[in-house]
Amino acid sequence: MVNSERRNAIVMTAALAIPWWAGGLGIGLVLILAVALVQPIGVSTQYVVLDGVLLHEMFPGVASQSPYLVSAAGGWTLATYEFFFVAGIPIGAFLASLATKRFTTRLVPREWAHRFGSMPGRRLVWSFIGGFILLFGARFGGGCTSGHMISGVSQLAVSSLIFSGALFVSAIVTARWLYGDWGKR
Amino acid sequence: MKLLLGVALGASFGAVLQLSGASSHTKITNALRLKDLTIMKLILSAIGVGLIGVHLLDALGLANMKVKDLYLPGLLVAGLIFGVGFAVTGYCPGTALAAAAEGKPDAWVTILGGLLGALVFAFMFPDLETYLLSFGQYGPVTIHESFGIQGFLLAVPLGGLCLWLAAKLPKGGAVR
Repeated sequence: MVNSERRNAIVMTAALAIPWWAGGLGIGLVLILAVALVQPIGVSTQYVVLDGVLLHEMFPGVASQSPYLVSAAGGWTLATYEFFFVAGIPIGAFLASLATKRFTTRLVPREWAHRFGSMPGRRLVWSFIGGFILLFGARFGGGCTSGHMISGVSQLAVSSLIFSGALFVSAIVTARWLYGDWGKR
Repeated sequence: MKLLLGVALGASFGAVLQLSGASSHTKITNALRLKDLTIMKLILSAIGVGLIGVHLLDALGLANMKVKDLYLPGLLVAGLIFGVGFAVTGYCPGTALAAAAEGKPDAWVTILGGLLGALVFAFMFPDLETYLLSFGQYGPVTIHESFGIQGFLLAVPLGGLCLWLAAKLPKGGAVR
């Protein structure tokens, strides 16, 4: 095996520590437990809640002027089941990455570096812009990959099927265009 | 107690996302480029397990369902916008949190951009609502209720289909 191929193989396996079916089973079981005990899982609303609580700390008048913030975060508190669920995600991911020795501070991802070079500034600027678009879309749609695709589709919600379909078409077209896959044979 | 349960479930979710490669930019990007379908298999199998489990719980009267409202064309536009952000960052709102916790600085910045995007949306909402959300509002519609049948009658075979598809999809992808 050529050296670079071997390195690629190592990177490929390093990205996952458990097979896809174990991951799917794990996510499915978390959803089932959450539905049995509290409610379906969701993440993106808590971005609004954190925004609302922070803004309310600094400018209470401005925060209470937004009906959307009031309805999402009206109690101006982070001590809710929903926020703690989302706060748990990085805790679990951090411990999992330590346990499997996959914690890494790499700044520019491999695929990005191949295509756009390894300048950290460019990756960070586009990460910020992309993050903006991501959450703008998620709030517009009332959910994200967790709330719509995992929870919503599992409940056979028509809204979630439409959102997930549009999301995948758009993401695949964008990614293939971004990484120059169209027209390449 | 509820808070503790929240952290525990969230941490399990975050750990699974991390371990299964869902928080990996490489894995997500190559899935969207249709070069490595592992993440598609992961999502399909999660939905398959979810469909069957959630609807069996529901049939026993043990599920706390929460179906999101259907509104058009807003939802379609929203999905298209979300997809662009997904492809550019290589993260979604949940996996960005997982990736940030495993040390990736670009995921931290994605979260910051996300907080701003969510805030801007919150203040634009009254206007967007008038233009894009309000010309076709149908409430929390589900497929099985529109057919007037029990959820699990549809969810169990569909869930099975998702699991079968997840197993059958090639890992390597259709396009090179």
